[in-house]
Amino acid sequence: MVNLTIDGRAVQAEPGKTILEVAKENGIFIPYLCFHPALKPIGSCRICVVEVKPGPPRPLPACATTVAEGQEVVTNSDRLQAIRRELMKLVLINHAIECPICDKGGECELQELTHALGIDQVDLKAIALPPNHDYESDLIERHPDRCITCGRCVRICRDHVGAMAINFMNRGYFTELGSGRVPLDCEFCGSCIDICPVGALINKQFKYRARAWEVDKTMMVCPFCGGGCTYELHVKDGRVMRVYNGDSVLLCGRGRFGYPVVEAEDRLKTPLIKENGKFRTATWDEALDLVSAKFKEIAAEAGANAIYGIGSPRATLEANYLFQKFFRAGLGTNQLDNPGRLHYLKAVAGLAEVFGWPKVTEVKAVGKTLPPYHSPLAISEETKGSGFPFVLGSFEELAQADLVFAIGADITPELPPLGWAVNKARQNDKFKLILANPRTTKYDRWADLSLRYKPGAERLVLAGIMKALLAAQPDRTPAIASGNLEDLQETLKKFGPKELATKCGFDEAALFEEAATLLAQAQAPAVIFGVELLGQDKAEQTVMALADLFLLIGRPEKPGSALYPVAEKANTRGVCEAGVLPDRLPGYLPLDDQTAAAFWGDKPVIKEPGLDLLAMLDKLETDDPAAPQALYALGGDLLRFLPNRSRAEKLLGKLKFIVVQDAFLNDFAQMADVVLPVAIHAEQEGSFISSGGSLGVLNKALDADGVKPDWQIISELGAKMGFPAVPGSPVRIFQDLAKNVPLWAGLAPGKTVGSGIPATLSGKFAPFDLDISLPGRRPFTLIVGKVLQHSGSYTTHHPCGTLVVTPKGMLALHPEDAASLELAEGDEAKIISSHGEITAPVTLDANLAQGVVFLPEHFAEPAAHMLTLNSNLVRVTIQKA
Amino acid sequence: MILPLIKGLATTLRHVFSKPVTLQYPEEKRPVYPRFRGHPELVVNEDGTRRCVACTLCMVVCPSNAIKNIVPAEGPEHEKYPTQFVIDLTRCIFCGFCQEACPKAAIKLNNLYELAQYQKEVLILDIDRATQKKSEMRMPDWL
Ligand code: SF4
Ligand code: SF4
Ligand code: SF4
Ligand code: SF4
Ligand code: SF4
Ligand code: FES
Repeated sequence: MVNLTIDGRAVQAEPGKTILEVAKENGIFIPYLCFHPALKPIGSCRICVVEVKPGPPRPLPACATTVAEGQEVVTNSDRLQAIRRELMKLVLINHAIECPICDKGGECELQELTHALGIDQVDLKAIALPPNHDYESDLIERHPDRCITCGRCVRICRDHVGAMAINFMNRGYFTELGSGRVPLDCEFCGSCIDICPVGALINKQFKYRARAWEVDKTMMVCPFCGGGCTYELHVKDGRVMRVYNGDSVLLCGRGRFGYPVVEAEDRLKTPLIKENGKFRTATWDEALDLVSAKFKEIAAEAGANAIYGIGSPRATLEANYLFQKFFRAGLGTNQLDNPGRLHYLKAVAGLAEVFGWPKVTEVKAVGKTLPPYHSPLAISEETKGSGFPFVLGSFEELAQADLVFAIGADITPELPPLGWAVNKARQNDKFKLILANPRTTKYDRWADLSLRYKPGAERLVLAGIMKALLAAQPDRTPAIASGNLEDLQETLKKFGPKELATKCGFDEAALFEEAATLLAQAQAPAVIFGVELLGQDKAEQTVMALADLFLLIGRPEKPGSALYPVAEKANTRGVCEAGVLPDRLPGYLPLDDQTAAAFWGDKPVIKEPGLDLLAMLDKLETDDPAAPQALYALGGDLLRFLPNRSRAEKLLGKLKFIVVQDAFLNDFAQMADVVLPVAIHAEQEGSFISSGGSLGVLNKALDADGVKPDWQIISELGAKMGFPAVPGSPVRIFQDLAKNVPLWAGLAPGKTVGSGIPATLSGKFAPFDLDISLPGRRPFTLIVGKVLQHSGSYTTHHPCGTLVVTPKGMLALHPEDAASLELAEGDEAKIISSHGEITAPVTLDANLAQGVVFLPEHFAEPAAHMLTLNSNLVRVTIQKA
Repeated sequence: MILPLIKGLATTLRHVFSKPVTLQYPEEKRPVYPRFRGHPELVVNEDGTRRCVACTLCMVVCPSNAIKNIVPAEGPEHEKYPTQFVIDLTRCIFCGFCQEACPKAAIKLNNLYELAQYQKEVLILDIDRATQKKSEMRMPDWL
């Protein structure tokens, strides 16, 4: 602590803080313009000047001067006020003073400062400049005549978003913010809008719709990806006006511009019942009675195992928890799973194989009443944790890593906050980035080493790296207690480095050595792997390889050194941890755990595991007697995401009775016998667990017009079926769930799963399968993946804002491939695989390797999974349509 | 005794020949001063367009919530204008704050003071009825 005085007041401050920060903490007002708490100070506007003794005779910028012992700081002398007023007048020369129509009016920092400094007239003159308004973009409008050239937007875009879409043009008085006199072409994250102190960058969705003071603000977690960002939802007259994040500023485009989905025309408002192949609207009672009667009938006829449940990564923890309770305690079956089976659960399986399932002992009940969404379990002195959740890192930690190895992940589209964390980590001079991906992705521009392998060759890349690592340091002792190294060595013997390099598509095996050297040197290496990798067949094998690599190089005692699998949707991680699994209870507890009975009001839990999603489909295919007859799905368009769509459609069609809870009548819901419309976004309460493990809370800010939140539907249906009563609000459901999940001890909004639990990590090297064959002989490899502006199928409903940026699915082709096929941008191409064919418009993308093509899976058309077999990779032939 | 009677009669006589002070309202109307505060109305430009840009400052400043429901919209030239604007004269206390707050001189208190009505709804003005018909101030009685 250092001691100093500010305006004669003695204050204590942490060393390293700036005068501005310390003054703010102590309630002393120093005006500022170019500074923002989310950015590094640059000291350019000089509005924040203060006099510092001892120090130079000239005033110093408070935002960029750190505190020192014995400093005497004066913040408001006449001289300083005169300087500030003069500077403000310079800022205000030719400022387009149009506050009445400027959306920033009322929350404009320039307005406030002008007022605070008492400036009523500007007696300076300068030649007028053209306003150069840019109305081109549908999401962001630019008014350079209101810009005060503080550079905040340039810095957030460059340093934090990493898009580098805007910069200053010209110099001095003529400085203008711009994108080079062309329409803004960027990630459309809108972060620059919220950081701009004035109205120079305007959120077009908000434009002219409300004044800043007219809105009701609700803090909530973003439901559009596993990032778990929190933001303020601004609502006026029952309609969302905008999404705003004034503190940490960063959000992606889906989060900021995606909310109009709530008002989509095609949203379901009433329950639907299918009669003679046609849907008719029904009342809630009618629909639930029918479901309850049908479920009872089927359970009586064929046993409870004949009803299968699919949870949803979109639904809250509370809804998913009740859902599995409905199956386990109500029906008495473990026949349930969630769509994470196609990707995230492969990471869970692989990691559990190496690091073990989570075990947390000696947690104690808190006893007193708790604020909402706080775990009723606390960490005690004796608490010990082990298992794979403790090798998973949070986004905050990632920023402290000194090396990031990202493989099979297009970071920004899959999980933007992971990218922001990498950008933060990049601020460290010693930071190194290794990027392995079949395509060039955004982060390649900063990569110290890019490994461009053939799609699907991840395991071979990892084997090559581990081989090189062990060859260079044969007696390397892993930082994590581990055994069975021989198993790994046995696996690695299968191919020599040269062979591996050729199979991966590398020119030389030296790349493996380079990567191994970087990884071996790192003090806090982090490993990111994404849906692109996890979506493949045998991805759990790849994850085991990654876990083996982490056993070799990981230093889990260093913050940041951890594994970062991408959990794609808002609650992908949560739906698994809430127990919507055929073989695990909430908190990944085994079915025979002795605490298990406590979940179901002391009713014994069925010990026999259910079928997983893919096994269930296989059983349907063989018309096995164990195949289910009825399906209850918590939402999500299964047909859009299950590989091999025609097969999935055929098999699901065999089910006698399907109930779907969804907000939209998507292709899968069309197959249902009863569709129950649900509340989404801010129409409901509940919580999510993000990919980084943090607990985010949804708050209700909008009226649900005829629809009901998932948890309520499940509990009403349960009541109709005569199941035991469940708690009557999300807050109490959360308590009911968390009181039995020791892994969540100490969990609270904003906290991460497992943080604060002293963990002992150990693992055993797992041998993995090195066979990567991709069936077929067709010339192109298609990757079915994610694009930045979309989140599942959720954001593809009009009027979602991001549809203006990415309105449809296009086949991305390398320009040379396109030339050889005589296809040009916008042409229709026919894509044929061994399972089907579709047509899609073509877009050229030089970031792809030749022979690799990409198609997003979000859209109904083109239906990418018509082509796939059991993975997100498939060989295809492409022709002109 | 007779003297006061004569005095009184004299006063009466004097008034018999002077001009009467009683105004034959409503046939005759009392002229008011230009700064008299009648009811607020939306000002139009020479070309008949409203000057209001829907900034809502008048609504914010109004102490009796007489200004309500200002619905903004965007025009083809990116101008901002109101598509709805309600002045509730049953609430207005004629303080003139709105006129003072308006950055566009788009709302002014006119000189109309005859606001008594049988029906309350008549006094709740929507945007069209709140807008003046000509660009000058409405003051029919000002001589
Ligand atoms: S930026 Fe601020 S000062 Fe400038 S017109 Fe907008 S509200 Fe007014
Ligand atoms: S919207 Fe995002 S990417 Fe685009 S300029 Fe602004 S900060 Fe940069
Ligand atoms: S646009 Fe806004 S944030 Fe960017 S330089 Fe101008 S005033 Fe600053
Ligand atoms: S990154 Fe994810 S959580 Fe954050 S705003 Fe975007 S969609 Fe929402
Ligand atoms: S203050 Fe003036 S410009 Fe603003 S809304 Fe009221 S009348 Fe319109
Ligand atoms: S805020 Fe310190 S120089 Fe701009």
